[in-house]
Amino acid sequence: MNRAWILVLALVLLAVVPDDAAACAVCFDARDENRQAFLVTTAFLSLLPLGMVAGAGMWMRKRSKEIDQELEAQD
Amino acid sequence: MSTQAATLPVEQRPEPVKRPKMIADGVLGMVIFVFTEVMLFAGMISAHAIVRSQTAGEMWPPYGQPRLPWEETAVNTAALLVSGIVLLLAQFSYKKSSSRAMIPLVLATILGAFFVYAQGTEWVALLGEGLTLTSSVYGSFFYLIVGAHALHAVAALLGMGWATYELKEGRLTAAQLGTVATFWYFVVLVWPVLYLKVYL
Repeated sequence: MNRAWILVLALVLLAVVPDDAAACAVCFDARDENRQAFLVTTAFLSLLPLGMVAGAGMWMRKRSKEIDQELEAQD
Repeated sequence: MSTQAATLPVEQRPEPVKRPKMIADGVLGMVIFVFTEVMLFAGMISAHAIVRSQTAGEMWPPYGQPRLPWEETAVNTAALLVSGIVLLLAQFSYKKSSSRAMIPLVLATILGAFFVYAQGTEWVALLGEGLTLTSSVYGSFFYLIVGAHALHAVAALLGMGWATYELKEGRLTAAQLGTVATFWYFVVLVWPVLYLKVYL
């Protein structure tokens, strides 16, 4: 599958997901402010752990490269 | 190990190059613990945001409940942030000479203790004004979130006190200082978020 198709698939999935989220009985409220709060906090709680793991991974990759360079310099 | 070295008898083979540790064990453990703590506070902040949004258009804080003293707390916040910077200086000083870390480490602990003391004084005043854990959802969230942070701050201060004692005895290692510092940085960095969400 080429990249364009993956992008289209991702966009279709993104278009479908909000309907499912609104189907959650306890995540719905008549007020706009409250609905927005549910969406924002859901995104926040979903992305925060992923962000932390990604950050840790990037740091480890960077540190690993630094150690490799230090070892090469010693040889 | 090269192919040539691998064909040698075991006792004649060169020692493999020891790769230095990427991160000290203690610091790694603390980082993983801090990740879970971040999620704990994120959950509490999210719950607070939803409850607050439910009262949109209504009064926040609710009628009859005192307003939080955000001006005084701004001073406490500054003290806490400075303590984090001073602890960072302590870590840099330790790399040059362990004894040079003593003064900044003690200073960071004193500033942290000031923050906890000032927050405690604020709690006593708020309780006197009628804001309790059961007086309203506003009070419940305030004591839950700020109380959880205060518990973490006290635990981190105990760790810093221990680190100061070990440094005085000449036993503190860089890894131990890093472990204690990681927890304190978490306490320092999570506070501005709590302050913005709860006090303002």
